Amino acid sequence: MSRFPSAEPVRSGGGQRRLRLPTDTRSGAVSGPLAARLVAYLYLVPMVVLVGVFLLYPAADTVWTSLTDSTGLGSANFVGVDNYVNLIHDSAFKTSFLNTLYWVGGVLLLQVGLGLLMALVLSSTSLGKALKGIFYLPATISAAATGVIWFFVFTPDQGILNSSLRFVGLGGLTHSWLTADPPLNTWSMIVAFTWQGLGPTMLLFLVGLQSIPREPIEAALVDGATGFRLFWHVTLPLLRPMTAVVVGISLINSFKVFDIIWAMTQGGPYRSSETLAVTMYRESFVSFHVGYGASVAVLLTLIVLVLSIFYLRAMFRRIEKY
Amino acid sequence: MTGLTEAAAGATFERPRIGVVRPALHVWALTLAVLWLVPLFVLVITPMKSVPEYQDASQWALPHDPLELFHNLKTAWTSAGLGPGFVASLTYGLTGAALAIVFGSLGAYAITRLGVRLGFFWFILVFSGTIFPFQMYLIPLFTMYTDTGLYDTWLGMALFYTAIAIPFCLFVLRGFFSTIPAEIQDAARLDGAGDFRIYWRIFMPLARGPIAVLFLFQFTWIWNDLLFGLVLSTSDGIRPIMPSLLGMQGVYAGTGPPIVLAGALIGSLPTVILFLLLGRYLLRGLTLTAGQV
Repeated sequence: MSRFPSAEPVRSGGGQRRLRLPTDTRSGAVSGPLAARLVAYLYLVPMVVLVGVFLLYPAADTVWTSLTDSTGLGSANFVGVDNYVNLIHDSAFKTSFLNTLYWVGGVLLLQVGLGLLMALVLSSTSLGKALKGIFYLPATISAAATGVIWFFVFTPDQGILNSSLRFVGLGGLTHSWLTADPPLNTWSMIVAFTWQGLGPTMLLFLVGLQSIPREPIEAALVDGATGFRLFWHVTLPLLRPMTAVVVGISLINSFKVFDIIWAMTQGGPYRSSETLAVTMYRESFVSFHVGYGASVAVLLTLIVLVLSIFYLRAMFRRIEKY
Repeated sequence: MTGLTEAAAGATFERPRIGVVRPALHVWALTLAVLWLVPLFVLVITPMKSVPEYQDASQWALPHDPLELFHNLKTAWTSAGLGPGFVASLTYGLTGAALAIVFGSLGAYAITRLGVRLGFFWFILVFSGTIFPFQMYLIPLFTMYTDTGLYDTWLGMALFYTAIAIPFCLFVLRGFFSTIPAEIQDAARLDGAGDFRIYWRIFMPLARGPIAVLFLFQFTWIWNDLLFGLVLSTSDGIRPIMPSLLGMQGVYAGTGPPIVLAGALIGSLPTVILFLLLGRYLLRGLTLTAGQV
């Protein structure tokens, strides 16, 4: 016999409705004995407890901490929105915010723009298959390791970038890329980030291109559209769903960049290449301005949530279709 | 469609579908691909050099004695302390990914098949764990860990990695389980199987494909994590590999770049090998991730 007394009643009770594709909303249809219903909740317990304790409670607690003058030690006092007000007058925060915008712009331009371009090129060349792997390979390396590799690529003396520039007679263009004046150090890191992130972006665009129906393209070709006009008026509009996904992911990820910066400059020199995520870490765990750091975390979260609101709506619409 | 337009369309089949092709673009694609290989060249070639050899030439120079690689790998693994981080991350990755799949699938099964009330609410509650930037978790986790003694312990790290991997597992498996026909479940019930047995013997084996993808993705994520390792651990043997790598970079960047890059090689090899072996699953997982948003 079954371990759970729910088996029989559930089957006979819900038999008719079960012919439909099962959905969550079906839950009301099942009417088992109370004990069986309670057993069902046991399946949820490990998941809900772990996520609640290690993710959701900390997220809520950070909001509270951002309203205190906590230093991580001893008791903290409630200070209202003081931390947020102080952010506005903090020049390090302004730099950090500006750098974050550079990251967003750089990622959209390089990772998304170049990713789309490469997808278009690769989808129309027989080399596509081989090159796809090359562009994807860096994505399998961690952001921290990518930062380490590019730290050495950018080394002023032995670094492969500067020595290549010297070799082709462009020695005047050499820089000490990571200790250079801002925003050059940030842009250098954006290049490293693009190296790592181009592959997945490109692959998503390739998937999108493959799912475009042939007919409109062929019709446009028959009508004499070619090259850029074909791309702009036919391909790009048809690609819009995937573009929305890629832009959304890239936008959100570019706001959250931390690992690669921590590996390359740690936000330096003199906090000139920090982003919001790095500022939050430095304030909280290096300077122990914990309340202040929490307010940066909350601000970052608000920005990401607001930006992705359309995006989340689209996602939930999709989920509800199940 | 008339025969004429079909013929006309057929004639265009020779031309690329997207229609932006010129030989110049091929050359450009090849050039970019070569550029993409340059940092990998640095990653692979530099650890084959001795430290003085590295200091004397550009990174383009080929190594005199490639066997120097093993010496540098050994130094990175033992003296620079990357070995314990490697082992720790391996255990975190395997444990965290496996437990997250078990807990996430139990939840998915309850929500889609056991008729728990407010199924959608439970789903959104857990799934909302993917919405916040990680910075939202750090401070309270650090406080909680130091208060409870979980700080800098294997258990503390494994618990956190399990928790953070759960929401995506729930998302994917909930989607998959709801596509399994109810008749399968009903037939098993008629044969006297209980709910748990149906979950373990029927649903989980059916979900082998998505589970493989999830395992690959969550293992890779845990392996590559830097931030939580930095905040929640400090000692050798507990600290995961990526924070260990950066710690080593801090010590050796000036005196031994070949050793640091040997460390980067050690840290990258497992995920690169996984990709080479299971590339097609990675692509499937990637489109899953895109489907998530």
